[in-house]
Order: sequence, then structure tokens, then C-alpha cells
Amino acid sequence: MKTITIQVSRFDPAVDAEPHFEEYTVQVNEGARVLHALHAVRDNHDPGLAYRYCCGSGQCGSCAVRVDGTPVLACMEEARDGMTVEPLALPILKDLMVDLEPVIAKIARICPAPDAELPAKDEIETIKPLRDCIECFCCVSACPALQVTEFAGPTVLRQEMRLTLDPRDSGDRITDAITKGLFYCTTCRRCLEVCPKEIDIPGKAIEKLREIANRRGLTLPRHQEVARLVQETGRSVERTKETFLEQVPEVIEPDGPVRGEVGFFVGCMFNGRVPQTALDAMEVMKRNGIRVIVPHDQVCCGSPLIRTGQTAFVDDLKKKNIEAFARRGITTVMTICAGCGATLKNDYETPFVVKDVTEILTEYGIEPPTKLDITATYHDPCHLLRGQGISEEPRALLRDAVREFVEMPTQCCGAGGGVRSGVPEEAKALGAKRDEAVKATGADVVVTVCPFCEFHIADCTDVPVKNLVTVLLEGYRKKDAEREGSA
Amino acid sequence: MVLYNASTNKMHVDEIVDAHVLVVGSGGAGVRAAIEASRYGGVVMVSKTIAGKGGCTTMAEGGYNAVLRDRDSVDVHREDTLSGGAYLNEPALVDALVHEAPERMADLVRWGAVFDVTDDREIAQRPFGGQRFPRTCYAGDRTGHEMIMTLLDRLDATDTHLYQEVSVIDLVKDENGTVAGAIALDRDGNVVFFRADATVLATGGGTQVYDISTNSAAGTGDGFAMAYRAGAELIDMEMIQFHPTGAVYPYDARGRLVTEAVRGEGGILLNARRERFMERYDPERMELSTRDVVARAIATEVLEGRGTSRGGVYLDVTHLPAETIESRLPVMLEQFLAYGVDIRREPMEVAPTAHHIMGGLRITPECRTTLPGLFACGEVAGGVHGANRLGGNALAETQVFGKRAGEFAGKNPARSGRISEGAIEEKIRVLDDFFEGSVNPADLRKDLKLTMWDQAGIFRNAADLRTALGHIKRLADKRLCAASTANLLECCTARNMCTTASLIVRCALIRPENRGAHVRRDATVTAEPGKSPFGHTYVSLTREGIEQREAMT
Repeated sequence: MKTITIQVSRFDPAVDAEPHFEEYTVQVNEGARVLHALHAVRDNHDPGLAYRYCCGSGQCGSCAVRVDGTPVLACMEEARDGMTVEPLALPILKDLMVDLEPVIAKIARICPAPDAELPAKDEIETIKPLRDCIECFCCVSACPALQVTEFAGPTVLRQEMRLTLDPRDSGDRITDAITKGLFYCTTCRRCLEVCPKEIDIPGKAIEKLREIANRRGLTLPRHQEVARLVQETGRSVERTKETFLEQVPEVIEPDGPVRGEVGFFVGCMFNGRVPQTALDAMEVMKRNGIRVIVPHDQVCCGSPLIRTGQTAFVDDLKKKNIEAFARRGITTVMTICAGCGATLKNDYETPFVVKDVTEILTEYGIEPPTKLDITATYHDPCHLLRGQGISEEPRALLRDAVREFVEMPTQCCGAGGGVRSGVPEEAKALGAKRDEAVKATGADVVVTVCPFCEFHIADCTDVPVKNLVTVLLEGYRKKDAEREGSA
Repeated sequence: MVLYNASTNKMHVDEIVDAHVLVVGSGGAGVRAAIEASRYGGVVMVSKTIAGKGGCTTMAEGGYNAVLRDRDSVDVHREDTLSGGAYLNEPALVDALVHEAPERMADLVRWGAVFDVTDDREIAQRPFGGQRFPRTCYAGDRTGHEMIMTLLDRLDATDTHLYQEVSVIDLVKDENGTVAGAIALDRDGNVVFFRADATVLATGGGTQVYDISTNSAAGTGDGFAMAYRAGAELIDMEMIQFHPTGAVYPYDARGRLVTEAVRGEGGILLNARRERFMERYDPERMELSTRDVVARAIATEVLEGRGTSRGGVYLDVTHLPAETIESRLPVMLEQFLAYGVDIRREPMEVAPTAHHIMGGLRITPECRTTLPGLFACGEVAGGVHGANRLGGNALAETQVFGKRAGEFAGKNPARSGRISEGAIEEKIRVLDDFFEGSVNPADLRKDLKLTMWDQAGIFRNAADLRTALGHIKRLADKRLCAASTANLLECCTARNMCTTASLIVRCALIRPENRGAHVRRDATVTAEPGKSPFGHTYVSLTREGIEQREAMT
């Protein structure tokens, strides 16, 4: 047995205006789960504690709660000393019990055709990954789109795709899916992160439904414009100024001895809209002895098309990009755009390794910059954090580049999944939440590693937003200036 | 709505709901019954959890037995079921099971169930213990979950009125002695009276009366207890299936089911000396022997000192390809990973766990109980599985008998008898008493569960059983305390658990032989199962005993 102290959110609508935490010290067995700690509270402290549970083995989805803010199944998550236990972010009935009936009602039921037959094996195999859902509603609790829109929720869209894939179903699921907010999803993948069954709803449901919607001509007009632009120019951003590729040679040699060599995939945003940041990145590479090869025949990675279901000519883009780098014998391709990086890593099959700039810099080790005299916070780009599993590298680099680093809770900024262009009011509302979070940290600067996040957050807050490479370069410049001053 | 009457401080009925058929329970059998009954009139289904989340169907992993291939036959399925059940099964119920399981499977497929299929577009089947043909249909290792999701889709297309998180606490009879509905408590402890022409009890099992159990928190045996109090007869309540493979760690998750599919897919059992000990117990069928045999083998290994330090044995699948484990046993993989064990690389530790109650309400093939107006199906009914249930027969049972119960309850004529106010008041008076009590129901449950595990578990004898019965009676007499109206249900549940436990122990004392899952170390009668002079044990408010029968030849 061990003793742990936990904070449990309590709320009785008959008495309380809002939920509050109560602290309990309880005895639990080694390996006890959150659920067993709640049982201990009920059995020994307060029999009135309201919470749901049933199977105790992760199969029924009754007991989902938020532990330290993250939705989990209470029966599977190990109880920790000091943890907070709160209800899911849904209307609370009492204590940890939330009202699930409205969201359950949104999950579509199959309408089997009268002549429905057993599906074939390949059909069953494609449905199965979407069938594991136990309706625990962790995803609904965690989804940022739900905070600001009428989005019905990730698992609701999962079910629309499950039914679309079933030859027995006779419903019109695409129209349903659009009504339920198909275009509200930012593909931030937070739902996948919290799903106890690891169901890839963005990849296996949202993007696939958008693909079918696209084939039916139901893609949002703004997204169609982007697709047209990519088809005509190879780029998802219109040329309004001198691009990055127009400003650099094919090979950028480092200042000192060559310590390594990478190919550079610049991406549309850094090429056309914010080329200066890409140029800053090149300066950082030069300073650290890394030769950069920049194939000028590279094109859009296809991410804006894949995320919005417009995949008709994505294979052409993939082929062009893979050839551009493979032909030059490049073995490692660096991205500085989180979206491009995630796409090259997850949607491509490349004959070369793809790494984010923060991975490259961490692996080679960098010359320490002089710390800037600022407090900085870091915004995790969804496509870096969840798309590529990278969170520590940028933080470590940033800690060495600024006087003070402060954490900020992670949440999607609202720019991804075509939402900034397709549903601007949602993007704005999510951006406003980022602004609140930034302000709460008191930081002087928000640092990130994604041009979409950078551009969007800059639109939503008056705190300066910078790319990590720019901060590093500023540190080097400060170092140089100090050296010159002392010389 | 008033919680309770402020002037008298007494509970009263807050809401009356009328139905042609009342279905109590929302597992596989209950939902199937409601779907069927809805063809005949208004149906109300009362679920003590959110529908689809309670009960054991949702948790059932392994599969559903049905004869689907030309090389298999219903006669072989029938014989496997009878032989597995030590010939204590009711033959007419077994006939219904084996003949109708394929049709009920076809219903599920037609309604959208995503069962695994073969390359030839047939429902895939795998081998399960005690069966001579691989006839267990499955959806990975989440077969029951697949079924319940499909059934709820289908239920949604009917006019069934669903009451969720409302718990039935007692049956109500009219002046003619016909079951006329039930009294229930909602989430806040408000009293609801459901009035019906016919009532289907589909409340599932109750192995939560044991310290180590696979059952969900809802498996507290309420149906057995309510039916007994109403005067129904139950049979073979001593027949408790101890599933051979339950988890042993962590402590709070002990008993959690490790599906038979693990052995079906090729998992082997090893003792702490890494001996494949099933060779000594059933060299022919090895790990795929019947559950009673494997459970006793594991218990014996542990009792004789060849178990692991945590009191289990090893169940090993590390010789299987990782992809097989990932695709066929994803739930097992995920659950053990959560507890720090990667079953692709290291063996699981397992020990027996109370899993299923084979006994239950005595029913006819039309699912009629001994009480007029009351039907029963699923685990709360007895007789289908005899003295030991074959893996995969329970899910099939939910569908075959759920459909039958729904149909015959639906066809039941309108009830005419009057319901006296006294009958209702009597039920509610019990609730009032809970505000006067002093014993925490949680403490009582713990005590009861340990008593049952220690004295009415896998190996039994008369002295222990008598001690257990005495202790259960003392527990049942304790005055339970409800901290608020919302806690009334816990008191009712604890009371039901005591009743169910006492039924198990009483029947265990009555049966003097070793038969299937029932092992009396002090047994005086030994006979081949097929030649036993005994039939069902039976127990009701008015009588108890054991049927004698002509030895089968």
C-alpha cells in the first residue's frame, strides 16, 4: 500500500455555482489506477462522489476523466501522487459525471440496405481500425475545434467514415459529415494523442471523408483555389515578392570546415511568403558547418491538398520532389516547415531520411549563441509535436538562446487543416485562445518552428512571434557584435 | 421532481412508466430482446449504465459459436456443449442454442456487424476450448463490443424507449401473482415504477460476489436476487465458471479477463519451472481443454508450489509472430502494455478468476420463468450451459435467447390484475430503512467477496460452505447506510450480492458430487458426468433440493 494525495474536482449543481477542487489523501495498492484512487475516496471519505465506471479494463469507455488536464480512462491510467482529476470538458451533471447523451446522439447509426451482404475481407480490414472506438469521448473533450465551433467531434466523424466504408450502409454520409463539421478539423491530431485505442481519426477518417467530398465537388471554394494554384504554379502561395529559391544558389557552402551535408526542402510558405526566415536558417547552417543543397526544381509537398482531401495530383508532386532530391544523391533532407516535414515523413515513401531543422541542429550540436535578453515561450506546432513527435529539441535549443524560457500549455493555433483559409472565423477564435495563453506566460516573444503557426499567431497577438532559427541567428549576431565591441 | 417527501421524510414513487414489455438490462441479451419485443408493442428498456457500456457482452473478447460450415454440424455443436457441460444442460435449451445461433449471427451481419471474414468471404472462425470444430466467430478480440454496437444501432431503429442509468431494484407483482413490472432508482435516487404486461429479466451475471472476478462493476447478480425475492425458482446456482486465465497484477486489476482467444491462437501455459503442465491434466486437448479443467490445473499448480511469486502461472505467446498478436489480440496487447508487459516479448502471468454463473432462473425454451409474466434470457437464466460453459457459447446464448424472450414476452397478453399500493409501499419501506442504518455498503461488499473466494471458490467442502453461509446471513442482516438518496442503489446492490452469494452457497451444499465447475473435495458420490444420478439443484423461497434422475446410458 502507498499513500497519495490527489485533487478531485467536485460540483453539485444543486449547491455549487462552479466546480472546485477538494484534496484527498488515500491509501492505494501498488500499481493502482486512477479509478482505484477514486474508489478509495468514495469508500473512505465521501460516499457522495459521483463518477462513472464499469468494465475496469479499458473496454467500455465509461470512466474517462481528465487527469492533470489530459483525458484518460481512469481504469487504465496509473494513479499518481499530486494528480488532479477533473471531468471531461463536457457539461457536468455532478462531480466527474458529464452529460454524454447529446454527443452519443450525434453518432450516426448504420442504415443497412435490405439486400445487405457480408462485406469482403479487404472491406472489413479497412473498417476495423475505425471500429475500435469505445465511445469514451476523450477525443471530444480534447478537440480544440469543439471549443469554438459547432464541430460534432472527432469520433462522430470517425463513425461517418466507418459507415462510408461499409457496403451495407445506405446513408449519405458525406453530406452528414459536412453538416457535422467536416471542414472544422484542423488535423492537429490531438484526438489521436488522447485516444485510448489510438484511432487515427484525422488520417483515416477526416482526410478520407474530405477526399470523397472532393470527388463530389464539395470541397470549400477557398481550398479549391489553393489546389488550382498548386496545379498551375507548383506552389500553394502566390508569388508576391522575390522567392527564397530565386535568392539562393543550389549549394550553400558553410563558413568553416564542412561537418555535414543536407538537402533543403523549403516549402511554399518559406519560399514565397516569409523567405527571410529561410534565409536566416541558411545563415545558421553556414555558421555551424553544414553544407546545404537546395534543388531548385522542388515543388509544394502537397500537404495543403492532402489535409483538405484534394489528392488527385498529389502523386505527381511527390514524384517531382523525390526525384529532385534523389537525383542529387541527397541522403538527408531537412525541413524547417513542420507541415512539410510531417508530410514528407508520414505521407511520402522517400529514399532519403527527412529531418526537421531542430533535429539536424541537435544532432550536429551548434555553436552556442549569446543569450538574448528576453523571456520567450514556445508554441508547439501540431505537425511537429504530434506529426513528428518532436518537442524536446526545439525547447533545448531555445533554452540556450534566451535569458528565460517559460512553458505554455500546448494547443493548436487554428491555422492547420485548411481552417485558416476555409473557416477563417474558427482560426481566429483559436488564435485568440493562443493570444490569451501567450499573455498568461508574460513572455516577450513567442517562438515556434512552423511558418503557418508563426503567420497565424502573429495575426492574433501583439506579442512578437519568431521562428527559432531567427532567434538563433539574432544570438549569433549579438555574439559577433559583442566580440567586435570588445576587440 | 421531489427527492423525498419533506414532511414525512419517506421515499415515494416519483414517476410511473407503462409498457407492454419491460426489458431489464442492456447487454447483448437485453438489447436483442428489446429489438424483438418491439415488433409486438411498446417496449421500455431500463439500463443501469449508459446502454452499451454495462454488462459483460461489451467486454466479451473471444467469440460467438455458430455452426456455419458444411464440415461442422449442429449435432457436433450440441454434443460438445452437453459434454462440456457435464450433461447437466437442459437438452431443449441446447437444441435451441445450436440450431438458432447461425440465424442470429446472420441477423448481426445483416444489421452491420464487422466480424472478421475469410478470403472466401465467409465469417472467420477459430478454435475454442472443448470443441471439435473451430466454430468460434470473432471480431478481433473485441467480439462482444462489436455485437453490442451493432445491436444498439438496430435498437435505435425501433420505438424502444430507453431509460439509461436507471437501476431496477425489485420486481412487482399484481394481485394474481403475475409479475407486473419493476421498481427502479434513477441516478439521483428518485423512484420510478415501470408497469408492464411482461417483464424480461436480462440482468446478466454476478461473479462480482467473488473477490477475483472478470465481471464488470455491473455484474453484481441483481437479477438472481430480485427474481428469488419475487418467488422465482433458480437452478444450478453452484455452477460458477472460474475462467482459467485472469490477470494477477496489478492488485486492483486482478481477475481481469485474459481471453481464451490467447490460447485459441496458440498460447501455451507454463508453470514457474517452465513446464507445460497441461500435459499432466489433459494431454490430448492441452491448453484448449474445457475451462473447468484448465482452471483447476492452474489452481493445483499454484497450490502445490509451482506457481509464480504472485500466485499465477505463465501464459506465453512470444513464439507467435508479432503481427499475429497485434492483429488478433490487440486488446490484450494494449492492456498488458498499460501494465508494463509487452506480450510479444514476455509471458503474461495468469490465475483463475470467477467469470460466469452457469446457473440461474429456470426457463423453458420460450424463456418463461416459473413466475407468470416474467421471462429471462442471457446469463441470468440457467440450464443452457449445464455444469460448465464452453467459451463462445455465452454470446450465442445472448442472441438466441434474447430473441426468444423478446418474442414470447411480446406475444404475452395484456395483464389484467390490480397492483396494490401496499406492494409498492413495501418495496419503498426497505429504502427508508437505509437512511437509518450504520454499515458502509463498501465494507460489506469487501467482506462478502473475500468470504466467497475463500470458502466457496474453485475447491469446496461442506464445512467451509456452511461457514460461508453463516457469515453471509450475518452480513445480510446488517443495517446498511445510505449517505444520500444517490447512495440507495449501493445498499440495494450490496443486499442483492448477499442474496446471490447465499444462493450459490446453498446449491453448492446441496450438490454432493463433483460435476463440471463444481468440485467438492469431500464429495461422496463419484460418477462419470453422463451417468450421474443427479440433475439440477433448485432453490426458491419455498423449496430447495436436487433432482434425481435415471442414470444416462
